[in-house]
Amino acid sequence: MPRTTTVESPGCPPLRALTSDVLGLIKVVEVHGKVGVPKVVEIWGSPDASRAVVATSFADCRKNPLLAVARKDGVVELLNSLSGDTLNTFRVCELGLTNHSAEEDPVIGLHLLRTKNIELSSGFCVLLIYTEKGKACLRSFPTKDDVSLDDSVVHTFKNWDVSTAGKVMCSSVDSKENYALFGGKAIELNLWDLESCSRIWTSKPPRVNSLGIFSPTCFTTSTFLVKEDHRKVVAGTNNYQVRLYDISAQRRPVLSVDFRESPIRVVTEDLDGHTVYVGTGIGDLASFDMRTGKLLGCFVGKCSGSIRSIARHPELPLLASCGLDSYLRIWDSRTRQLLSAVFLKQHLTNVVIDSYFSAEAPAGDVAEQLCDLEADDSAIEKSTKEADKIKRKLESKNETVESFELTASEDEEMDKQTSLERKETSKGKKSSKSLKRMKRSKRKLENKNETS
Amino acid sequence: MIAGKRKNCGEDGDGEDHEEMIKPRLLPSLIKNKEKRSQVYAKLKHDKKTEKRKKFMARKAAESRALELGEELPPKKIPRTIENTRELDETVCQPNDEELFADNDTDEFNKILKQETIPKILITTCRFNSTRGPAFIQELMSIIPNAHYYKRGTFELKKIAEYAKNKDFTSIVVVHTSRREPDALLIINLPDGPTAHFKLSNLALRSEIKNHGNPTGHKPELVLNNFTTRLGHRVGRMIQSLFPQDPFFRGRRVVTFHNQRDFIFFRHHRYIFETKEKKDDKKAQGAKNKTTTQDRVIARLQECGPRFTLKLVSLQHGIFDTKGGEYEWVHKADMDTSRRRFFL
Repeated sequence: MPRTTTVESPGCPPLRALTSDVLGLIKVVEVHGKVGVPKVVEIWGSPDASRAVVATSFADCRKNPLLAVARKDGVVELLNSLSGDTLNTFRVCELGLTNHSAEEDPVIGLHLLRTKNIELSSGFCVLLIYTEKGKACLRSFPTKDDVSLDDSVVHTFKNWDVSTAGKVMCSSVDSKENYALFGGKAIELNLWDLESCSRIWTSKPPRVNSLGIFSPTCFTTSTFLVKEDHRKVVAGTNNYQVRLYDISAQRRPVLSVDFRESPIRVVTEDLDGHTVYVGTGIGDLASFDMRTGKLLGCFVGKCSGSIRSIARHPELPLLASCGLDSYLRIWDSRTRQLLSAVFLKQHLTNVVIDSYFSAEAPAGDVAEQLCDLEADDSAIEKSTKEADKIKRKLESKNETVESFELTASEDEEMDKQTSLERKETSKGKKSSKSLKRMKRSKRKLENKNETS
Repeated sequence: MIAGKRKNCGEDGDGEDHEEMIKPRLLPSLIKNKEKRSQVYAKLKHDKKTEKRKKFMARKAAESRALELGEELPPKKIPRTIENTRELDETVCQPNDEELFADNDTDEFNKILKQETIPKILITTCRFNSTRGPAFIQELMSIIPNAHYYKRGTFELKKIAEYAKNKDFTSIVVVHTSRREPDALLIINLPDGPTAHFKLSNLALRSEIKNHGNPTGHKPELVLNNFTTRLGHRVGRMIQSLFPQDPFFRGRRVVTFHNQRDFIFFRHHRYIFETKEKKDDKKAQGAKNKTTTQDRVIARLQECGPRFTLKLVSLQHGIFDTKGGEYEWVHKADMDTSRRRFFL
């Protein structure tokens, strides 16, 4: 008999992902149940091509998660990622960037600083915004309309030029948010200290090859490889290379790997501190071990369009990718198997994963759960302590996984170690499962309280 | 040998009880004696033939009986084809999709399709171009109104795109020839993409078509068939944007792009509506023109050529850039896992 249905996907664990597309829509995709099928739950915004989303940044925290969205017409919006309410909007041209207009010098990206979100409860968040011509702006913004900027709190407000020539195409901020990385077309990678707004490191192009051929620099994407360490940087280039830079070692790339015949569009680091996921312009998705530069494997599916964004789940071994083929795909990052795919109709530009989502908590019965919460408060404290312990252990192990010149045997050992870590983390997950559920409901309640 | 295999999978419906009879029997291919084998095989074949004949006669009898009695005819069986057993595809456009309309209103072809700008096409070739290439381009020029041919020279395609953008062209069509035979078509939409790359095959020029007509210079009508999915929709709109959106209907000229199983068939026709006297007029003539002659309008087609088939290889986001380009869709070998999956 002819096969009239598509092959069934294995389904994926509970998950909440937000995607943004070229029509300016933000779609919320949720997976419910143990082995569920992702579904579009909510769509925020109305279709309008001039409001196409250029970049998003997501502060993934338990209460008050924030989503910052930069649009094509030069508007930056701050959204509550649970309800989709717009908290604040402003135009980039009002920021005091010199000679700025939305047509000539569009916003390329933005970054929501998470560690400086201490003031978040007070209604402020800090954003790093940068434009194509290399103007960067670090500034705090009110997340409520009625709060004005001239409050008693000290606000950061810095403008500076990253470069004067060339086109900025990528940027990233390290996890402690002290350093920012910029790169682009005809711009070598720059590392900037965000405190003093000074450049502390610049990369050098690799040497010409034996034929004397030099390829012009064009960085399309960059990321920090290790969470705790700002010195290791991975970048993808337009001429098919994934490069590893070590700031403490040298200015030229330590390692450079060619991947197929298509520009690298996106590089995302894994939690383990040595794996990166690479997406290209013709829809190839692969993972690399950056200690050795080995290709671990490709994510084979029916990816047919350029990959624009990859998001790694902070706890589960999950990977979400999206791009010009209008599909949001969810992968198992260990087995590289496609778990499920959703067709979202538009060219997608960005995907973020909300890690504090748990499918079991229903929308209603919040009060009931609150009673449970209070009763179980002591239990929570215990489990958080456990989780902390495990985290500490992991960190100490991660520090050992830092040297990059490794022999093959050592490499294997490392793999064993990482597998051990995985086991531990999975144990930790089990213990903290009940915890998460309660966290979720608590978070919802708090939100409700605030809005009321 | 093949026929022996087919015995098991062929003929469904009424033939089942017959098959059950055969099944315990030995397969002819397993018999080693040739004479015996051919005997058994011949018998099998004969049985099959008679069975088929019997079924056909039964069907015919039922039909004629129904006709006589004035009952409803037995329902006709729909043959199972690859198209109507196509794999379920979620990307197929739905008629009530709001997002689709919003997307249509803002895409790159929107200006031309809303008749805000008039399409202006630049046609050029690959660097080495001879015999069938120029002939094909000449006919392409007669099909697409407002098309201008430019010699390729040794210019880079990116430079040509730049030039065409400055001269307000809306599309570039590049005919690629290999061994003096056109084998690929590249359509670049200006000013900001997309770029579609088609494989071109089965080209028949006008002179190679029997009883071909010669097209007039009127603006042609356009028929786009079966572009169902989101990708197909986009490709269809791209093709549509090559032609002016106000056809001159009196010119009675049709250009057809028919998509079937991801192959896009191009045909070019002239049509005419003719009034023809009815067939039973012969009897009327026998009765010496006493009955009124009833006129019947029929449409006649004449093919003008050329005739060719396109297959989408890739659709690139933005203007032609093979090195640093992003693709919206690329055909990859690992997509071909089923004959029943189509992308357009």
